[in-house]
Amino acid sequence: MSWKAIDRNQAVVDADAPPLLSEGVREKILSYTHRYETKRAALLPALHLVQNTLGHVSWQAMVEIAALLDIQPSDVFDTLTFYTHFWTHPKGEKVITVCRSLSCEVLGGAAVLDALKARLGIEEHGTSSDGQYSLVTEECLAGCDHAPCMLINEKLHKNVKLDDLERILADGDNDRVDMPRSDLFDAPPVAESKQPASATEDDSRTTDD
Amino acid sequence: MAKIIIDNQELECREGMPVLRAALEAGWDIPHYCYHPGLSVAASCRLCLMEMKMPHPKTREMDWAPKLFPACQTPVRDGLEVRFNSDVVKTAQESCMEFFLLNHPLDCPVCDQAGECCLQDYSYKFGRAESRMVDPKVVNPKKDIGPHTLLYTDRCVTCTRCVRFTREIAGTGELCLVQRGSKNEIDVFPGRPLDNPMQGNVVDICPVGCLLDKDFLFKRRVWELTGTSSICPGCATGCSIRVDHADNRVYRLKPRYNPKVNDWWMCDEGRFGFKYTQDNARIIKPMLRRGREETSPSWREIPDIVRFRFQDHVRASSADKVVAVLSPFMATEEAWLLIRFIREVAPEAALAMGPVPVEGEPQAFPCAPPGAPSMPDVKFTILEEKCPNRRGIEQLLEVSGGTVLTFEAFSEQAAKGDFTAAWIVGGYPKPWVEKDTAKLGSKFGLLVVQDLFENKLTEAAAIVLPACAWVERDGSFVNAKGLAQPFERAISPPDGAMRDGQYLFEIAGFEGLYSGQRVRELMAEATASLTEVYEAPPIPAHAH
Ligand code: SF4
Ligand code: FES
Ligand code: FES
Repeated sequence: MSWKAIDRNQAVVDADAPPLLSEGVREKILSYTHRYETKRAALLPALHLVQNTLGHVSWQAMVEIAALLDIQPSDVFDTLTFYTHFWTHPKGEKVITVCRSLSCEVLGGAAVLDALKARLGIEEHGTSSDGQYSLVTEECLAGCDHAPCMLINEKLHKNVKLDDLERILADGDNDRVDMPRSDLFDAPPVAESKQPASATEDDSRTTDD
Repeated sequence: MAKIIIDNQELECREGMPVLRAALEAGWDIPHYCYHPGLSVAASCRLCLMEMKMPHPKTREMDWAPKLFPACQTPVRDGLEVRFNSDVVKTAQESCMEFFLLNHPLDCPVCDQAGECCLQDYSYKFGRAESRMVDPKVVNPKKDIGPHTLLYTDRCVTCTRCVRFTREIAGTGELCLVQRGSKNEIDVFPGRPLDNPMQGNVVDICPVGCLLDKDFLFKRRVWELTGTSSICPGCATGCSIRVDHADNRVYRLKPRYNPKVNDWWMCDEGRFGFKYTQDNARIIKPMLRRGREETSPSWREIPDIVRFRFQDHVRASSADKVVAVLSPFMATEEAWLLIRFIREVAPEAALAMGPVPVEGEPQAFPCAPPGAPSMPDVKFTILEEKCPNRRGIEQLLEVSGGTVLTFEAFSEQAAKGDFTAAWIVGGYPKPWVEKDTAKLGSKFGLLVVQDLFENKLTEAAAIVLPACAWVERDGSFVNAKGLAQPFERAISPPDGAMRDGQYLFEIAGFEGLYSGQRVRELMAEATASLTEVYEAPPIPAHAH
């Protein structure tokens, strides 16, 4: 064949690799299944859990989740990639999300993206060599009136100017959300001793009600 | 039954069926991609939008609702009024078509689907002539997604028919839809390719040239192909198929809708199983053997030669020393002609049926997902009996009476030398003459063998008659459920050969041209119950 085609017959997961998900994570995923009528419905909480534990959901993690929920790995691949929230490969410490929607586009969003690519030496979905930043784009960040916008982790940077980029990147607090918070927001959990041992796996607000 | 009004015309249809299906079946050519009658409704392509009358929220009077509704997702209710012929609907269709073509490479000249592509047809009928897109197109990759199938992602309209097929009918779920919005792509999980016994159907239901069959890739432009209605001989299920051929060569097989047997589907084994018909090793000439001497008589002489040789034999030994072994690959009509001839020259002749090939277990689809507690509703079955007409031959043997033997009993008696003259029909796509059967070759004074390929029996036979492949013949097969279905002749036999039906017709003493229909009429007097055949109702071409 004279053209290039991606060969999907090649496996990306080593069938003999030792399991990636810890016993604790597995048990947790299985415990989610009781909440729903079907096992497959536990897929989203499972993805959150794995991403929060491992930082991303790798191919092997997808296969293992599929096996736990009696679905096909392709089902996991399908659902996972629908949400840009989930990562299939490791991400940097901070994730920069540049808006690629209409208002930002007409007010220079693309230039911001290009400048960041050049500055960090990465393409979209890449991670800088020092592991500091990953770069992605997203549809409207809901800050159209201050376009162009970008997010660093959860902090929204509005009216981004090209010559301001250096300053923003250098600022260690560039992902700190200075929102007035209730003093309860960061308060320690009420009865600390009663927290389960796997507390680190529990920090996803979306997963656990 | 419900009465609905489409474009001012009244229509009677089954309550609850999608309005789109009712309209398509009644002859409306409504554009649609994601809807397929055999799959669940996705209502994602928005091509089938229509206007519908609803009670006005204030006055309660029935009036056209301001919003459009997908016809594929709107069930028929009595009194429903919809229309497709309004400007609003036409504009919606045009806009949808423009959207589908935004990133499409427009590579019809090199696309296999060209000529049977819904993008082409709909652009022509419902689209606009030019694109207003000024930005560079998104270029998506081509993917090799399995042993038989290629995926040209850039031609995809993301209707998800293929995905739903692997989930709902095959039950294997290899395909998925990854990413979102403008990055949507069909894909498989890397290393888990599309590889199930039914996968070829995704190519059939893909409305565009995105999913392509490697076997047919770049072989022939589809408008040069002629389709002939046929029945798949691959197993006893007997799926309705269409044989696509050109220049007397078969290029591909496609399933044909048959609500009693295969719905819209067929399996890969049947789909790709026609290759043996193109094998150069096939026997194509009749042959006569006298001692070491081999001659090839003309077809004109064959009926007399065969008849005289059998008559001589009966005179020399006796009529109960004659046997005919029918093949489960014969059409019922051909088998009837042979029985008629044999019982005419030797009224006491024994009849038997050759071995029935069985491979593995029946496979039901959708296959149960791993860990599923119970089997889902069976939508398709591939049977372990790999021949098309065991039932037909059995029924014929039953009504023919006289001595009827199993193949084992025949072999045993033949090995003891009980028969002096035999006519054995093969016609199996795979080698079928086992060691014990091979030894029988020398046990008859007169052996006529009718087969596709040479084997120990043809080597021993006094008369060898070429058998033809089913695409070269016509007649009917009775499937495992007892349904008799006619199949038509798609191509002519290879040069030198003659269709089995024709020479059997002449040998049995009839004049003129053989046709399945004609023989069924002849059969009707004697065996009326065997002559009723079921033909699946055709569906309009636009209701794909
Ligand atoms: S590959 Fe074909 S069937 Fe599958 S989503 Fe694309 S257009 Fe539809
Ligand atoms: S368009 Fe960029 S924030 Fe809305
Ligand atoms: S939305 Fe009705 S056919 Fe696609």
